[in-house]
Amino acid sequence: MLNGQRILRTISIIGLFGVLGFSPGFASEPPPPGETGSVSVRMYQLEGSLPSDDPNSSQWDSVPGSEFKLAPQVHWPPRIQDVTVNSVKVKGVHNGQELAILVEYEDPTEDAADAAALEFMVGDKPAHFAHGQEMLQVEGGPVNIWFWKKENGKAVDMSAKGFKTLQAQPKQDVQAKGAWQNGIWKVVFSRSLKTDDTQDVQIEPGEWRSVAFAFWDGAIVDGLVKEKGGQKAVSSWWYIRAEPSRDNSIFGWVILGLALAAAFELVIVRKLRKGQSV
Amino acid sequence: MKGPIISGAIILAGVFIFLKFLLPLFTAPLPASLIYLYLALALSGIMIFGTMSAPSLEALMGPIFRFLSGQGQSGMGQVARVAVLVMFPLLVGWQTYTRLAPSDLPPAENRTIHPAPPGEFVGLSNPYPKTPENIMMGKGLYAAYCSPCHGANFDGKGPAAPGFNPPPANFSDPGTIAQLQEAYLFWRIKKGGVGLPVEGMPWKSAMPRWEVELPEEFIWKIIMGEYDGAHQSPRTWEEEE
Repeated sequence: MLNGQRILRTISIIGLFGVLGFSPGFASEPPPPGETGSVSVRMYQLEGSLPSDDPNSSQWDSVPGSEFKLAPQVHWPPRIQDVTVNSVKVKGVHNGQELAILVEYEDPTEDAADAAALEFMVGDKPAHFAHGQEMLQVEGGPVNIWFWKKENGKAVDMSAKGFKTLQAQPKQDVQAKGAWQNGIWKVVFSRSLKTDDTQDVQIEPGEWRSVAFAFWDGAIVDGLVKEKGGQKAVSSWWYIRAEPSRDNSIFGWVILGLALAAAFELVIVRKLRKGQSV
Repeated sequence: MKGPIISGAIILAGVFIFLKFLLPLFTAPLPASLIYLYLALALSGIMIFGTMSAPSLEALMGPIFRFLSGQGQSGMGQVARVAVLVMFPLLVGWQTYTRLAPSDLPPAENRTIHPAPPGEFVGLSNPYPKTPENIMMGKGLYAAYCSPCHGANFDGKGPAAPGFNPPPANFSDPGTIAQLQEAYLFWRIKKGGVGLPVEGMPWKSAMPRWEVELPEEFIWKIIMGEYDGAHQSPRTWEEEE
């Protein structure tokens, strides 16, 4: 003796339990972590002032960092086969208005021509990590480069879109301060998260941006500067993000989910108790 | 307590163990979402079988309904029922949270490693004969121009390799140049990373555009040296007629 309605109800209840309870968790898999070092820089949100003008500030000690391997620049002439800086530790913080990024790397000597740079994609079009050089099948965008050199003691806010187009911007928005001690350079770059300059990268908390790194060992070897111009240690693109403010609306949705599931249970149990039939 | 519930649970567990642990012994592991889909299909089958008639429906669902309604329960049964009724909303709440919580993971990258080459590079063949002299010259050029990234052992582990993402190709891996034709390598070496189409994410590639520095002859000979050094053979055109 078949009871069609009862069968249908049974199937739909079991299906509902399945869909509500399990499918989202099983269906989403995190991507595998990077094989060599980090893949992103996380700029942690702090309250109040940032350690922007002090690379040795104790405020940096509690900020977790990322580490990136670097390569000699072999992509384009003039190439270099051996560089001093092989990896860099990067830490980032922001307070909703300003950001500060600390790079820390080994360089046995302090030299006037030592230099460090951060590079960012600007706008929606992807830019090649080598100064936004021209791509053959894809229309690329510009890059924003924050360049610090020991002998200048300050940062230069620069733009490029292709080789030989690198130049300082008319409007300078970036600050930097470096400190060398016991074979380690610490350089902190700082800027507003957002500027009114269309040539600048705009950092929106919660959104990912692309970042790359470059370092020059300015040691004098045989009367010449060891690394300068295209001869430098580089990385290709990695990701950077300013941590978004906590969104408490999530907990509202969680409570709603809990309440709906509990109400659903209540209805089922009541129906079962009434007539042993759902 | 024997019955369709136990049998169903055994079938589901069997399907899961087969898909998750046994199948990967013979082929690539299945993604969790696909395993979930197969489990859902198996569950549907069990449900359809169990609800074919009123007695089978009673055998399948009766114990579950009696368990949930809690009538006539005592002791451990009562405790288990309360636990299930409490756990289900918590599970839904947890799923809601994991779904909505902001992820700290950067965007997933669906980069195509070997995208289609432009038409003018399809079907080209190496104009230089595979003589020992040509191969040796190719290996010498490879050592000078390619090995800093792709490695002296053709394994993608050159001294410059660790800094780049994506990493340089490992030619000794049977999944790289052994799957490609010489014409494809000619395109990739000549136009470099910047010559890739959008699905290859040219903005990330450190592969130089060698056409601006090397004559075509060098490129064809480097290809010969690469295959020989990596102990691989190029994929060739199948006979079409």
